[in-house]
Amino acid sequence: MELNDAVLDHLRRVAALPDLTGTRYELESEIGRGGMGVVYAARDRQLDRRVALKVVDSALAGEARLIARLEHPGIVPIYETGTLPDGRVFYAMKLVAGARLDHYMAGAPSLGERLRVLRRIGEALSFAHARGVIHRDLKPQNVMVGGFGEIYVMDWGVEAVAGTPAFRGPDAHLDRLSDIYSLGAMLQFMLADSAPRALLAIAAKAMREDPAARYPDAPAFLADIERFQEGLGVEAWSEPIWHRLRRFTSRNAVLLWLLAAYAGVKFLLFFLKIL
Amino acid sequence: MLKRSALDPDTTMGGPHGQFPSTQLSLLEAAGSGDTLPNEALERVSALYWKPVYRFIRVKFRKNNEDAKDLTQSFFAAALQRDLFARFDPAKASFRTYLRMAVERFAASQHASASRQKRGGGVEFEPVEEYVAAAESPEEVFEREWQRQLFALALDDLRAHCEARGKQLQFEIFEAYDLADGDRPSYAELAARHGVAEAAVTNYLAWARRMLRQFVTERLRGVTAGERDLRGEMRRVWS
Repeated sequence: MELNDAVLDHLRRVAALPDLTGTRYELESEIGRGGMGVVYAARDRQLDRRVALKVVDSALAGEARLIARLEHPGIVPIYETGTLPDGRVFYAMKLVAGARLDHYMAGAPSLGERLRVLRRIGEALSFAHARGVIHRDLKPQNVMVGGFGEIYVMDWGVEAVAGTPAFRGPDAHLDRLSDIYSLGAMLQFMLADSAPRALLAIAAKAMREDPAARYPDAPAFLADIERFQEGLGVEAWSEPIWHRLRRFTSRNAVLLWLLAAYAGVKFLLFFLKIL
Repeated sequence: MLKRSALDPDTTMGGPHGQFPSTQLSLLEAAGSGDTLPNEALERVSALYWKPVYRFIRVKFRKNNEDAKDLTQSFFAAALQRDLFARFDPAKASFRTYLRMAVERFAASQHASASRQKRGGGVEFEPVEEYVAAAESPEEVFEREWQRQLFALALDDLRAHCEARGKQLQFEIFEAYDLADGDRPSYAELAARHGVAEAAVTNYLAWARRMLRQFVTERLRGVTAGERDLRGEMRRVWS
């Protein structure tokens, strides 16, 4: 049987469609695909609501269920998991209405907003790491910014080999520190060229080639971001003295103005006494 | 050959859960402890790869139809003599990649040898009009033909399965809709044409597609070296 390209493409698409007979879901359309599986928009007939339905290989069933147990505001909630007649595993999850992070960034949000988003991502990562789950493919395309500003980290990877080149480190074996590299790459992606040196240094430290030279975990990375936001020196950058002075004056401007005013008054009184 | 009796029986709503039973040995299993692959495994390999290899040689080395056929035939013969398939190491690459690289080396050496025999040593390329306009690289052509042949074989399996099980109607509906070259009939038209309910058309199509997927998986299993290689190839097919 000779197949032309159009028929072949059609067959590849339809033969991959999940057979949802016997489930409560009705397939609507494909909304994305990655190394781990394909995501479809579907309708839950019982609850009359739209859901995202992710279909993955049966070999990934165990890890998919492990991910489904992660309950965190930054991780898309899983409603149900099940097995299709062909053995593949599906899980129904919240269909997030919002913008993918790379699209969201096109709207040029403020630095403060970018850091808020990054911190939410880091918190979700930290939570998952503490439960033995690593992402393996952290990138802007896998983060959604919801309509209420909520952040969802999606597509938790379960592949033995995964990662998107621009956001994947040189590590041969992917572990938590590989996620830290990707988090640094995300920060770098979210910063403008004119970003503060301290932030660029944080990204660079997270992206060190040697995993041991990176932040040891997500909380350490987040702590450095927090130090920057509070006007403190960051661990990733030993800043020059003039920069430290400038940061000190900026952070203690009110106190310095008061001191200057006090000194000025004393100076004036001293001269008045002489006269 | 596929053990058709072991295939997934007809499924009703929801169908039996669990994986499609494996009926084909992987390449490594087929090789067993011996040094060479049994004929059955070799047949599976050549059934799937003959056309991709032929097309690859035509595009990469610009051979005419007959030369490309001869070269393809020579490659498979040489592969058997030299136990090429048995020397495949799944830790280094997928079998598909290994085979393509082996073809490339073999054809390049044959091509160079033929060129040396020509007076003056000049290389003469045959025009291959059908590929001149193609933007695809030889590697992409190989990949595409591999997918095409994989589905063609799986469709043969599906057709035979339907005939053996008295499911010609399901296959006819599937053929009319999913194999249509051009405008597809609506489900309602198909239902009227075959005198069944529209819901039955939906179910028959879902069943046939699921079976096709299973036959594709089985065909892949026969030419891959274990689960990891199989998963990788499945990703190539479905992504």
